[in-house]
Amino acid sequence: MTDRGQVFDLGYKPYEGERLGRSGAVPAIYRDGLRRVLGFRRRARSKIVPWSLIALALFPAIIFVTLSVFLADFGADADLEFFTAPQYFELLSVVTILFIALAASELLVPDRIYGTLSVYASRPLNMWDYIAARAASLATVIVGFLLVPQVLLLVGQGAVANEGFFSYVGDHSDDLWKSALTALVYLIAYAPLAFLIASLAQKPSFATGIYAGVMFVGSGATSGLVDSGNDIFALAALDHHPRYLRDAIFDSNIQAWIPERAGFDEWVSLVVIVVVAAISLLFIARRYRVLL
Amino acid sequence: MTDSIVTTKGLSFAYGDIVALSDVTLEVPQGTVGLVGANGAGKTTLIKLLLGILPSADGSIDVLGHSVNTDRLAVRSQVGFMPEGDCMPKDQSAADFIGYAAELAGLPTRAARQRASDVLTLVGLHEERFRRMVEFSTGMMQRAKMAQALVHDPTLVLLDEPTAGLDPEGREDMLDLIERLHGFGISVLVSSHVLTDIERTCDWVVMLDGGKVLRSEPISALSQTGVVELELFEDPAPVGDALQRAGAEVRIDGTRLLVQVAAGDPFSLIQDALVSSGAGVRRLGARSTSLEDIFLREGSETGEGSK
Repeated sequence: MTDRGQVFDLGYKPYEGERLGRSGAVPAIYRDGLRRVLGFRRRARSKIVPWSLIALALFPAIIFVTLSVFLADFGADADLEFFTAPQYFELLSVVTILFIALAASELLVPDRIYGTLSVYASRPLNMWDYIAARAASLATVIVGFLLVPQVLLLVGQGAVANEGFFSYVGDHSDDLWKSALTALVYLIAYAPLAFLIASLAQKPSFATGIYAGVMFVGSGATSGLVDSGNDIFALAALDHHPRYLRDAIFDSNIQAWIPERAGFDEWVSLVVIVVVAAISLLFIARRYRVLL
Repeated sequence: MTDSIVTTKGLSFAYGDIVALSDVTLEVPQGTVGLVGANGAGKTTLIKLLLGILPSADGSIDVLGHSVNTDRLAVRSQVGFMPEGDCMPKDQSAADFIGYAAELAGLPTRAARQRASDVLTLVGLHEERFRRMVEFSTGMMQRAKMAQALVHDPTLVLLDEPTAGLDPEGREDMLDLIERLHGFGISVLVSSHVLTDIERTCDWVVMLDGGKVLRSEPISALSQTGVVELELFEDPAPVGDALQRAGAEVRIDGTRLLVQVAAGDPFSLIQDALVSSGAGVRRLGARSTSLEDIFLREGSETGEGSK
C-alpha cells in the first residue's frame, strides 16, 4: 500500500451496450415530460404550482370522504352524497384549465427557450416523435388530474356505503366510464389549443396567461354576444363545449351552456372541439417542422 | 463504414432570397476537420443541413454513408452536435440532463446514467455534476454542451464554435479535448472563425466564403507554398542570378530571396548557388503560410473574406 495518492486517467470508454433507438428515445421524452410537469428533479419552487393545483383538485374529495367516514362512525346516514361526478368536474373547471395551461407550457416552452431542441435534432427522432411523446405526457397528467379525484370519491363513498363497498361501486360503475369519457373530451377540447399557445410563447407564464385569457375572457365575450342575438359566436365559447358534452354524457344539466343557449346540439360542440384540435395540431406541426 | 464522413454534391440552400450555400460539393475524410469562414459564410447552415434540421433545396448530402434526405434518423443516431448557442436546460443538474440526452439516443436508463457520469468526468465536470446548470460559468456550460454531444458515443461529432466565450484557460482545455477526440474513434467537424484553433486541432480544413467552398484539403497541404526562403548576410544579387540561370524563379526582397522551382529540389539549386558565390547564409527554410493568410488572400479575391 502506498502512502501517496495517484491519479489514473481512465480515458474514454466507447459505449458497446444496447441501443434501443426510437423505441427507447420516445418513452424517455414521455418520462421527462411527466417529471417536468410535476417538477420532479427540479428545484422546490417548480413543484409549488402544479402540486398546489393537484391539491386543490383533491381537496374537496378528501374532505368529503373524511367527513363521510367521520359521520359513518357516529352512525349518521353514510349514503350522503355531497357531489355527483359531473358536479365535481364542474367544481374543478377553473383549476383544470389552469393545470392544463401550466402543463402544456412546461412541456414545450423550456425546450425552446433553453435551445434544447438542438439536442433532440441530433438524436434518432423526428418531429412527430417529440410531439407525440410530449402529448402523451400531457394526456397522462390531465387524465390523472381529472380521474383521480373521481376515483377517490367513488372509493371513499363505497367504503362507507350501507350496501357495502362492492355493491356501491357496482351500482356506480357507469360513473367510471362516463368520467373516463368526459376526461377524454376535456383532453381533446383543452389540450391542443394549450399546446399551440405553448409552442409560440416565449415564457411558460405567458403561455399559461394567454391560454387562461382565451378561455375565460373568450367565454365572457361570447356569452354577451349570444345573449344579444349573435348565436353564431357560441361556437367560439371554447370552454363551454366540453362542459355541454359532459352534461350530455352524464345526462345532467348543471347549467345552460352557451352553445345550448344559442340552440346548437351537442354534436355541433363535438365538431367544434375536433376542428379546433385538428387546426391546433396542424399549426404545431408546422411550427416544429422548422425547429426539429 | 465509409471513408468519408461527409459527402455533398451540388448542395445549395437559401433563406428566402438570401443564398446561404451555393453549389457546395465536398468530400470530407475521417479525422478532425475544420470548417472555417467569416460570419455568414454558411458554416452553421451547412451543419444544420448535415443534421437534417434544414431541408436541402438542391443537391445531395451523405453523412457517414447515409443520405440525409432519405435516411435522416440513421445519420442522427451516429452523430453528436454541440451548437453554438444554448442547448442546456438551466433548471436541471448536468447529470440529469446528460443522462437524459443519452436516453434520447436510445441508451437504456441505467447505461445512460453511467455514460453521463463517465462523460462528465471526461470533460472535467465530475465534481459539479449534481449542480443546477444555472450556476455554471460559460466554460462549464461549454463543457456540459460537449458532454451531451459525446454521451451516446457518436461516430461523428459536430462542434459549432466550441471555444466561443471561453477564457484562455478554458479555450486551451476545450482545444485539448477536441484534439483527443479522434483518438477515441470519433471524427470531428469543428466550425470556427478562430483560424488558429483550426490550425491547432484539425488535419483537414473546409474553407467557406459567401456560401461557396474556397478550399477543402489537408491543413498540411494548405501551409505548404513550394517556396524556399533564403536570407543572406550580404547582397543577394549574385546568388539570385545564379539561381535564375539554373532555372529557378527568384524574387528578391532586401537581403531575402524567395525561390521557387517548377521541378526538382530547390534546396540543391540553392546549395550550388551558395557554393559558387561564397555568400554567407543567415537563414534558410521552406516558406509556410497560415490559414489566416490564405483566407484573407483568397477571401479578398472573391470579395467576401476581407469583410
